[in-house]
Amino acid sequence: MRDWQEFVQSKLAGLRLAPGEKAEVIEELAAHLQEAYEKLCGRGMAEELAMQKAMLQVPDWNALQGHIHAAKKREDEMPNRVRQLWFPGFLTLTLSTTLLMILQKQGWQPRIIPSNGLGLMLFYVPWLAVLPLFGALGAYLSLRAGGSTRAMLFSGVFPVLTLVACFFVIVPFSLVIDRSVALHFKIEGFLNVLIGWVLVPGAALLAGALPVQILHPRKVDSYRVSGS
Amino acid sequence: MIGPGIKRGTAELAVLSVLEGGALHGYEMARRIEQQTKGALRFTLAALYPMLYRMEQRGWIRGAWETSSNGRRRRCYRLTPAGRKKLSPLRKEWSELFEALRRLTKVTHA
Repeated sequence: MRDWQEFVQSKLAGLRLAPGEKAEVIEELAAHLQEAYEKLCGRGMAEELAMQKAMLQVPDWNALQGHIHAAKKREDEMPNRVRQLWFPGFLTLTLSTTLLMILQKQGWQPRIIPSNGLGLMLFYVPWLAVLPLFGALGAYLSLRAGGSTRAMLFSGVFPVLTLVACFFVIVPFSLVIDRSVALHFKIEGFLNVLIGWVLVPGAALLAGALPVQILHPRKVDSYRVSGS
Repeated sequence: MIGPGIKRGTAELAVLSVLEGGALHGYEMARRIEQQTKGALRFTLAALYPMLYRMEQRGWIRGAWETSSNGRRRRCYRLTPAGRKKLSPLRKEWSELFEALRRLTKVTHA
């Protein structure tokens, strides 16, 4: 009589699941084959034939291995993406936006810097000073959830990415719709916004996110291995 | 005999329906489905388990190890509240489809 557990184990040797989870799958499938085999023997079928017939339940073990892996992992990927990317990203965005609103409500005035050919640029210095902390927090949360380097950086600079997205919607719309302002003023205004609200805050967020990425690269790799 | 395409679509409904009666392990589930559909739906191990794992990931069913009276460990699946909730619209959807096909074939043969 065949040892079904051993048989399934050898067939699913390449199944990429956590050891405990893999052992459960092997035990479950072995129990299924064992039961099928015993039922066939119980109907009077010769042992060898019953064994062959039970094995016909899986025409391609490699394909089954792939299907099991996909079934077990596919749904996991989404929560991972949420934990590694969207949650830290949106938290960074919420914190940075809330802080800016509080500063504005408290009557903090932006620092106005005139720029040659670019008009005026506004900088909320206290806000910019705190942004590296938020960038670091976003990157750290992504790291803790097992995020890749890209996910960490993305989470850290997420607030400015949303601004970039808005920027690329507003610019073409404004160029086409609003014809009351001269084009060169519009371009100046957009460049001011780009520098004051995207590039400088982006650099501040990155200044916080990068050290996290540099200080913990090994940890990221180990998380990724355990998660795969 | 029902073709493989339709079988794939109805497989989840079959599993949810058979689990409505109570917890079952994989082999017993396959046996009951085959029996209750008079052999029209047959699940091999290769077809059944990836689907069960997928349904479990979606939260429609939940598997737990149980030891039977003869001392064997079996992973038994039962419907979750989410699975129960899914079953009703799925049943309606398939029933509407089969009714539509029945009407269509009737008209075609008329």
